[in-house]
Amino acid sequence: MSSTDHSPLDASRPYDGVRVLELAEGISGPYAGRWLAALGADVIKVERTSGDPSRAFGPWPNDQPDDETSGLFLYLNGDKRSVTLNLDTSDGREILRELAQSAEIVIESFPPGYLAERGLDYAALSADHSSLVMISITPFGQTGPNADLPATELTLYAASGQMWLTGHPDRQPLKNGGSQPSYQAGLNAFSAVSSAYFGAVMHGQGSYIDLSVQETYAGMAEAYHTRASQLGIESQRSGNNLHATWGLYELADGYGGVCLLPRNYPPFAQAVGLPELQEDRFADAGQRLLNNDELMAILYGWFIGQSRDDLLELGIANRVPFGFVATFEDLANSEHLRSRDFLADRDDAAAGNLVYPGRLWLSSAHDWKMGAAPKLGQHNVDVIHGELGYEREDLVRLRELDAI
Amino acid sequence: MTFDPGRPLSGVRVADLTMIWAGPYAAKILADLGADVIKIESPRAWDNIRTLIPPPVAPGERWWNTNFYFHEYSRNKKSLSLDLASDSGRSVFAQLLPHCDVVIENYRTDVMDNLGLSYEWLREQREDIIVVGMAGFGKTGPEKDAVGYGPIIEMMSGMTSTSGYGDDGVPYKSGISYGDPIAGIAASAAVSTALIQRQRTGQGQYIDLAQREVMSTLLGEFYMDWSMNRRLPEHMGTGHDWMAPHNVYRCAGADDGDYDGDEWIAICVGSDAEWAGLKRAMGSPDWAERDAFSDQILRWEHRAELDERVSSWTSGHSKTDIFAALHAERVPSSPVWKMLEMMHEPHLKARGFYEPLRHPEVGIWQVHGWLWRADGAGPCVVAPAPDFGAHNEEILGGLLGLSRAEQDALAAEGVIADRPADTPPASEFPATPSLL
Repeated sequence: MSSTDHSPLDASRPYDGVRVLELAEGISGPYAGRWLAALGADVIKVERTSGDPSRAFGPWPNDQPDDETSGLFLYLNGDKRSVTLNLDTSDGREILRELAQSAEIVIESFPPGYLAERGLDYAALSADHSSLVMISITPFGQTGPNADLPATELTLYAASGQMWLTGHPDRQPLKNGGSQPSYQAGLNAFSAVSSAYFGAVMHGQGSYIDLSVQETYAGMAEAYHTRASQLGIESQRSGNNLHATWGLYELADGYGGVCLLPRNYPPFAQAVGLPELQEDRFADAGQRLLNNDELMAILYGWFIGQSRDDLLELGIANRVPFGFVATFEDLANSEHLRSRDFLADRDDAAAGNLVYPGRLWLSSAHDWKMGAAPKLGQHNVDVIHGELGYEREDLVRLRELDAI
Repeated sequence: MTFDPGRPLSGVRVADLTMIWAGPYAAKILADLGADVIKIESPRAWDNIRTLIPPPVAPGERWWNTNFYFHEYSRNKKSLSLDLASDSGRSVFAQLLPHCDVVIENYRTDVMDNLGLSYEWLREQREDIIVVGMAGFGKTGPEKDAVGYGPIIEMMSGMTSTSGYGDDGVPYKSGISYGDPIAGIAASAAVSTALIQRQRTGQGQYIDLAQREVMSTLLGEFYMDWSMNRRLPEHMGTGHDWMAPHNVYRCAGADDGDYDGDEWIAICVGSDAEWAGLKRAMGSPDWAERDAFSDQILRWEHRAELDERVSSWTSGHSKTDIFAALHAERVPSSPVWKMLEMMHEPHLKARGFYEPLRHPEVGIWQVHGWLWRADGAGPCVVAPAPDFGAHNEEILGGLLGLSRAEQDALAAEGVIADRPADTPPASEFPATPSLL
């Protein structure tokens, strides 16, 4: 199937009819594939015969480990089809080659060299399929002295420069929660393949993309980095407060904060209502920085008396950038997020009632699927027998050979 | 036209109305990918990023063109000055829109409508236009008028609730305004996705991208834990729920061997093989052979003692020496690179991640190049940030065919300009302490 075969007006979702082969495990590649699937792509998730390792990551209902109820896996793999293939067998490799010929996009996250050793790299898969888009997502990219180095979220956080900047200046550098290096790389991968696929649609020419998690994350260091490279100035960890009007404070019922550009100060001072904030020593951004400690002390005393809800309402009413540290309970119950259909509410047969982010944006031209994730190998028969034309007996043989 | 795999968006023109960070980051990605991005600023209400963080050195006579922060987002873009709040500015914008595929903005929810630039009006100028609005909380819903920059987005998305040292109950924000670039990346994906859909259906679309929601999609497992177990995240600090050692460890000073107290290396051990590698790197000390450290579960249970032991080893060596030893043993580790060190980091250097940026009034410095690397792509950075209004003539005269006299009239009215209005000379530039 060539991407240019689609006739106009057949795409109620942008990727309807586009086939994506996902040879990716964990978070990054599956995150990108998840949104392609939600926007109509036929995402075939090719899993090793023991399954994507994220099936073995929690959370699970009642903390009972189960391959089919990993919360991480269910979140990242909705609306995909699962096929198992053992790429160490020649049958497994042959089936993969056939699948790749039918795909417009391949997402892979094997260690550098793994696919080339098996004759499945971009050069091989695109030889008779020049419009193929393929992305490799690895911690450090395909080349360079660290390409083969194993990584964790923590080491990637350190390697990207983010960690140096995060945490209290008098304590050790801190990592933000969860698996942000992997997730942000997945978001970048989604942008990378969508732009590359657009190029393929327009020009009939595919491309091969090398995405390094370290690089996409380092690309966010923005002013901190260019301040070093243009001005030669090092930046330091600033904890929760870059300065008095940019950071977090304790509230009466949790934590919240404020982030002001200079132009936001007058409405902020008005909303807070303390006369001290109008004094000359806080009159402009420069004065406020020179008198930062005094300003922080005043604001500390004010914030501790505010509730989270009141603070947000005050911000909305006065157009002041106030916010609070929302919990996942707050988010799952948020009237605002519900009114925007942000949350998927799904009663999963195995995992129970689930609430999780169901889309990236709202569009006037498409909606998002919010369906179930596949069981391991659930679509072996559909895909290998039904679409590639292997006989059912072949499937039995393949299983005996440990190919699927 | 030869296909440049690095620039799949060549031929796409973007009217970029974005300001500060989230929107400009999106538009930067589009420009890097080959789109013709026209950054549109009013002479009266220009992008505040030009002055938000004044450099501690004399900013130069034409400081509005030289700020390092502005340059970070504006390479590869064009600059058109145009006051969209004036009738004649709006009229010029209406003439420009038929030449544009995409309009992107990250204003407060109400600003576009207040300017008379609603989606309906934009569609009247170009029917299949793709419009991306990036308000922090989205364009609809009870909190649509809430405003916020990156850390507010991070707080309201759930992200901040997941981060902290764990011993004080205090949630911590990321060291950067993390919500901004994340929203920017998603908006770049939204543009490509809408272009694909337009190519297939002939229809444009309106995209309402809430920065808070994008950030929240990076936290799926925490939503699941809440759904399944009504459990909220624990602050893990730099620890891990089954790996040990898994932490950052103090090192000796990197350059002269002096202990300067803020040199760190991250080390993580997730298997017996990696533990064996770490032991060899440490010189096979006797203590490491104790039963207490003989398997992954025991190491995790004794992680506090393990951290002390590893720390006493790392504190005697530079982070680069430790990294070299652990690299040879294939133990996951990385120095905590500082900003000044990043552009000399050997791996990034070998990959050509940083590219030189040259500007006639600033000189040469290093900026990051491709966020991802298409095989066969040339350099990412092909032009520095444009001077204010640098492309007025090219766009107004060349693309729209306005005569010299018409352009002069716009300039006389203050609708276009070659510098921001009412700018003080550099000698009067406010001496503001650094915000970073």
